[in-house]
Amino acid sequence: MKNILLLASIALLLGSCSDTNKNTDKKPDATSVVQAQTALPEASIFNITDTFTNQHKVPLQLTSLRGKPAVVGMIFSHCGYACPRLTADMKIIHDKLGPKAKEVNFLLVSFDVARDTPARLEAYAKETELTPDWILLHGNEQAVRTLSVLLNVQYEKDADGNFSHSNTISVLDKDGVLAYQKEGLEADHTETIGTIEKMIP
Amino acid sequence: MKFLTTILLFFLCLPALAYPSSSENAGKKMVVVPGGNYYSFLVTNSNKPIPVAAFLMDETAVTNAEFLEFVKANPSWQRSKVNRLFADANYLKQWAGDLDLGKDRQKLGNTPVVNVSWFAAEAYAKWKGKRLPTVAEWELAGAGTPDKLKKNMSLTDYILDWYNRPNAQQLPATKTTYRNEYGLYDMHGLIWEWTFNFNSFISKGDSRATTEDEKKLFCAAGAMSVKDRKNYAAFLRFSYRGSLKGSYCIANLGFRCAKSIK
Repeated sequence: MKNILLLASIALLLGSCSDTNKNTDKKPDATSVVQAQTALPEASIFNITDTFTNQHKVPLQLTSLRGKPAVVGMIFSHCGYACPRLTADMKIIHDKLGPKAKEVNFLLVSFDVARDTPARLEAYAKETELTPDWILLHGNEQAVRTLSVLLNVQYEKDADGNFSHSNTISVLDKDGVLAYQKEGLEADHTETIGTIEKMIP
Repeated sequence: MKFLTTILLFFLCLPALAYPSSSENAGKKMVVVPGGNYYSFLVTNSNKPIPVAAFLMDETAVTNAEFLEFVKANPSWQRSKVNRLFADANYLKQWAGDLDLGKDRQKLGNTPVVNVSWFAAEAYAKWKGKRLPTVAEWELAGAGTPDKLKKNMSLTDYILDWYNRPNAQQLPATKTTYRNEYGLYDMHGLIWEWTFNFNSFISKGDSRATTEDEKKLFCAAGAMSVKDRKNYAAFLRFSYRGSLKGSYCIANLGFRCAKSIK
């Protein structure tokens, strides 16, 4: 009886685990085949194992983005001044890439773990007229802080729940290695775009 | 039956956690740091103090002996195996080997672990079921009145005197400087310590370009240092933190853990 119970539990456990995996991989741009081929480079930011959630409430690990270069910005959706501009800057890059943009992941990660729920991020994507290929990520405090440390982005929450932060657009290669960063708003994007284009076959 | 299955599932799922929780949580004494309002001398958008809830903090910095236990239990954090993204080449360089503190092991064991990156400190804290203190928490804790200081110095004089001295060749053991009103040892005078949000934005937000921010920061700092020496010491800590990257391993930088009170 005990054995049966144990077997049943293991079966259930395995069942539930593989279900979770399926959910994680069920993204339109899943690159699990590429993942299986080689280990991540040591310098890859995709080495962090925290789970984020996208605007469609789908859990996601950064390593699942492997296979395409990524343009990454960190923002919060209630931001009155800088973040809309950072998003606008990333949209300019997206537009200038033209059809090639679909070979690139565009990522916005929120500092505001309290207010920027996946639903709020989905609304933000609509407000700012982002195309469906953009990925907006919600994560826990530790995961977001870890990513900010890796991307050298500084941010701090104030007593009103808003954030002071640096404005950086990061370009990661298809393995998640930081390739290029541009600081400041409304900067010249020529070099950023050039870096990305070199990564696209 | 269902109940038993649930219990079994629970235990079967435990190993899936990224870091196995240590069973030695009882080993290190934590003390309560009362909550309060943290007034950053830096200008923020709101200019309001940050409310800090009471929390628990390790009474001393994490020692080499304690960190060795972590490395033993988590081989990916061994010196020869660690990912360079998470710790630079100075990681644990005071040790003789991956799991060897060297001939001075007795002495070194009781000194604060240094040459540890932010990522390593984070991983250690997580393994202990704890976390790193925030800047606000650390600064509140560090402002606690000392029981007694040498030559009856004020805390500010003591801190500035320590900042002025070069690093000791060999770090003294923990509990060798002073204890403060909360029961915390060596908050100043022994090592610098990592905080969870060391990479907080160190200037007024929403500026167009970073160069502009740096200018503002510099001006404010100049004015501040003349007015209030206490703020000057805090400014030095902010500058120090601001100069760090998460993978840096430095000979006078260690950490202690905190925990929220549920």
